[in-house]
Amino acid sequence: MTLETEVQSLRQVPMFRGIEPSRLKLLAFTSERIRFTAGQTFFSQGDAADAAYVILDGRADVLLDAAGGQFKVAELGRNALVGEMGILSETPRSATVVAVEQTIALRIDKRVFLDLLTQFPQMSIAVMRELASRLERTNAQLLARSGQ
Amino acid sequence: MTKSLFRYIWRHSRRDQLIIFAVVLGSLPFFYMSLDLPRKIVNEAIQGRAFEDGRMTAPFLDFAIHWPSWLGGGETQIVEGVQVGRLELLFGLSFLFLFFVLVNGFIKYWINVQKGALGERMMRRLRFELFSYALRFTPEALRNVRSAEAATIIKDEVEPIGGFIGDAYIQPLMLGTQAATALTFILIQSLWLGLLAAAIVGAQFIIIPRLRRQLLVLGRQRQLASREFAGRVSEVIDGMEAVQVHDTAAWERAEIGGRLHHLFDIRFKIYKRKFIVKFLNNLLAQMTPFFFYAVGGYFALSGKLDIGQLVAVIAAYRELPPPLKELIDWDQQRLDVQVKYDQVVAYFAPERLRVVEDAADEDRGDAPLEGALAIKALATFDGHGSPLIRGGDVSLDLPSRVAILSDGTAAASNLARILARRDESYGGEVTIGDRHLSALGHGTVGRRIAYAGPEPILFPGTIRDNLIYGLRQRQIEDIEADEEEQRRIVEAKRTGNPLDSVAGSWIDLDRSGAKDHVALDAALLILLDRAGLGDDVYRFGLTGLIDPERQPGLAERVVEARHRLRERLEREGKSELVESFDQDAYNAHATVVENLLFGMPTSPALKGRAIVEHAGFRAVLDQEKLTDDLVRMGVAIAETMTDIFEGLPQGHPLFEQFAFVHADELDEFAAIVKRSHGKGRGGLTRDDRERLLALPLEYIEPRHRLGILDEAFRERLLQARKHMRAMLEERDDPGVEFYDPDRLTLAAPLQNNLIFGRVNASIADAREQLRAVGAEVVAEMDLSSEIERVGLDHAVGPAGRRLTAHQRAIVNLVRCLVKRPDLLVVDGALAPFGEKRVAELTDFLLESVGTHSLVMVLPNDRHLARFEKAIAFEDGHLVAIEPHPSAAPEPREAPSEDDGEERGGEDGLSEAKEGQPGASRRQAAE
Repeated sequence: MTLETEVQSLRQVPMFRGIEPSRLKLLAFTSERIRFTAGQTFFSQGDAADAAYVILDGRADVLLDAAGGQFKVAELGRNALVGEMGILSETPRSATVVAVEQTIALRIDKRVFLDLLTQFPQMSIAVMRELASRLERTNAQLLARSGQ
Repeated sequence: MTKSLFRYIWRHSRRDQLIIFAVVLGSLPFFYMSLDLPRKIVNEAIQGRAFEDGRMTAPFLDFAIHWPSWLGGGETQIVEGVQVGRLELLFGLSFLFLFFVLVNGFIKYWINVQKGALGERMMRRLRFELFSYALRFTPEALRNVRSAEAATIIKDEVEPIGGFIGDAYIQPLMLGTQAATALTFILIQSLWLGLLAAAIVGAQFIIIPRLRRQLLVLGRQRQLASREFAGRVSEVIDGMEAVQVHDTAAWERAEIGGRLHHLFDIRFKIYKRKFIVKFLNNLLAQMTPFFFYAVGGYFALSGKLDIGQLVAVIAAYRELPPPLKELIDWDQQRLDVQVKYDQVVAYFAPERLRVVEDAADEDRGDAPLEGALAIKALATFDGHGSPLIRGGDVSLDLPSRVAILSDGTAAASNLARILARRDESYGGEVTIGDRHLSALGHGTVGRRIAYAGPEPILFPGTIRDNLIYGLRQRQIEDIEADEEEQRRIVEAKRTGNPLDSVAGSWIDLDRSGAKDHVALDAALLILLDRAGLGDDVYRFGLTGLIDPERQPGLAERVVEARHRLRERLEREGKSELVESFDQDAYNAHATVVENLLFGMPTSPALKGRAIVEHAGFRAVLDQEKLTDDLVRMGVAIAETMTDIFEGLPQGHPLFEQFAFVHADELDEFAAIVKRSHGKGRGGLTRDDRERLLALPLEYIEPRHRLGILDEAFRERLLQARKHMRAMLEERDDPGVEFYDPDRLTLAAPLQNNLIFGRVNASIADAREQLRAVGAEVVAEMDLSSEIERVGLDHAVGPAGRRLTAHQRAIVNLVRCLVKRPDLLVVDGALAPFGEKRVAELTDFLLESVGTHSLVMVLPNDRHLARFEKAIAFEDGHLVAIEPHPSAAPEPREAPSEDDGEERGGEDGLSEAKEGQPGASRRQAAE
């Protein structure tokens, strides 16, 4: 797997869709490709957010701590982006992410990511667009729920 | 120091000067002879005057002085000589002339060497004396001394003085006598020509020095301006952080530019004047031959002077201007150097220096500092003359742990400095036991008192060097005096330099309480550990190099730890974390160049990009036909770099961290890439290829993932590795320390030696996992103290800048503890630390002084209760207070309102304030 295939994966991520290829290549080049074994945690709830991950291959579970123990809230597959909210909002991790099987991910360092956003407005706009559309979806869901 | 330079020179070099004098005087007859012979050769041998009246022989090697008529005439025969024929006389006289020329030349050579040696020795003495003066600057004078100025004085300003010293007495004597001899000779030949020459010489001597007086004033200005310039430059460099933080570069530039203009102005004035003087001097000197030819020729034609005499006079005259010119130069130099010397002496004025003590005096009153510390009617003033400490008597018994509670003014620090003997300008009396503090010798103070101020002073060197600095007060043991050392001692004696050698042993183990250097290291580590620096030193040790002489046996243990780490990783199924170095396998996580060399480069020619210029390295790549492929890889890398880093501004942190190329090289590489697409190889220059070749050397496939390093190519690189090794091993110094699983790589950091391979960075948390396993091995083999010892070798950098402020502060404190002083004074040394660490470090200090005394300035009374005794200030007066709140119902005696309120939160009064909204928050913030 080379830089080129990673760029292909990044392009599948909604947040990065609008970014031009050479920037995506820079994002990939400045990230690390790392391997998690089954059961290894990406990060735990409450940790400081230091990186976001794009899953290139494999699967991971998103778990929330609750009184009775952890429960699973989502499952992440290929090309999923995880941990980006933490590095954008500078808040601790809101959930734990654990690899279900051997998983290969691209680790995007927080500082590098923010550096790139500051440097290239086009990237920032792409990120904002994605965040705005998420907000819209949430609003729509809230509306639907309150209408019930 | 003597006020007059000449007296200073005479006092220290009398003997040498006199010897050279004697030789100069002894050489004069030879000089006179070499002047007189041309006349004889022309007159007697060539013109044949010696053979007049049909004589067939003439006397040779006779010596007579022909007195001119105005001295009564006639001649005085000194040596009879032998009778020879005409041709023999010519050759005899000519060879005699040659002989005298040689003798004169040799004497000149000898005198020059002696003068040079004399000057160098005197300069050495002068520099050393000035440095010794600098060591004696009083704390008060130090506030106004700029380090760069002192350095300029000792190094640069003394240089011309040293150059002059050799000439100071001998030059005028030698030149003066030479000129006088030549002049006398001319006078003897012809009175009128002699008087003419003397008149012009006189004019030169009167006019030129007058013109030069202005030059001296300018010279003095120049010296001061350049000294300040040097001081200013170093201030800006030292304060670079402030300059960058406030972006005041433009202001600093203007400031320096202004100074440079001022300097230029002075120097230009000097030049203008100097060359006018030179012009006049030359003019006068060249007027003389005109008179000689005209007047001398007239005399010769009218028969008052024979041709031989005229030739000799002109020859003698040729000898006259050079010494005169040099003599005038010497005079100029003398004034110049005297000015410089005066400036230098003024800088080290006695009132700025501490009193010298002779060796016996240094230990004056040397006995443990115990008994009653009595402070009576102490009164001090701040720098502006307002009173700081206004009196008050305090008496307490030492040894004890005493707090000085600050009232927010500088008084507490002032008292601390007085007790540490850092400040000696005070009224009143301070005694310890029955001794006046001011009466203690410097040696006693240095041994028995330690002072840790707010600014830790570290010297470049290792942490260990800095910690044991306080133990290096006197040489304990000399080194063996071999021939070289003997020579050094002889020279040192001649120049007033110290006989001690830095190579001798200086560390006073007795005072540290350790029995040997290993025990001393252990003691240092215990102190550092307790001061909370243990982990840092351990980390320094991991990245440090092992010194096999200092820690014999450690190499073997590290190699064993390496094997155990390997085994443990395998046992725990984590062997993937590290890819070990293997002679027969390509290490995927190491760079291409590491794989090629399979070792640590030790020679600079094999480090970094320089390696592509290494002929042997290139030859192997060529023979293995790797060069073209590597250049192709270079093109691929350069292409990717220019593609993805384009548009990123120069100096962006991402460049430094990720790019193979430097930000400012990006455009150049873009051009190279463009050229590489030209026809075949033709487009690339030799230089291009070299630069491209350097890129893939740093390439690691799993990290950079450009997909340009496949299995087949790795095999080829592996083949080249063997070839490379063979090539390097043929050389006297291979420049590479090859990896060997069973041997320590001395040039590699300790942790690299433990791991002996490259961490597989593509495994999540690989480093953390490895660190955990490594720590287990270290614990199992009990290696941590040995690793910490390696950490003591960590270089602190200039002024300790490679350490953090906290680390510097702790090194400073531990240095004070290592020499186990009777009295440790801590004044603001804990300022860089947060509240929690201050509490820990205070406890650490209280414990560490053991049975000795600690005096510590406290900015507030939070930790007051930890001390046995306390001194506070009441309206500027010293008062003894009770440090324990239980015994003192009203501890709030502080004069400052703020302090009092702040203290409320901690000393049991907080309950009363609980209801107030601000109180609990303030407490939390503290």
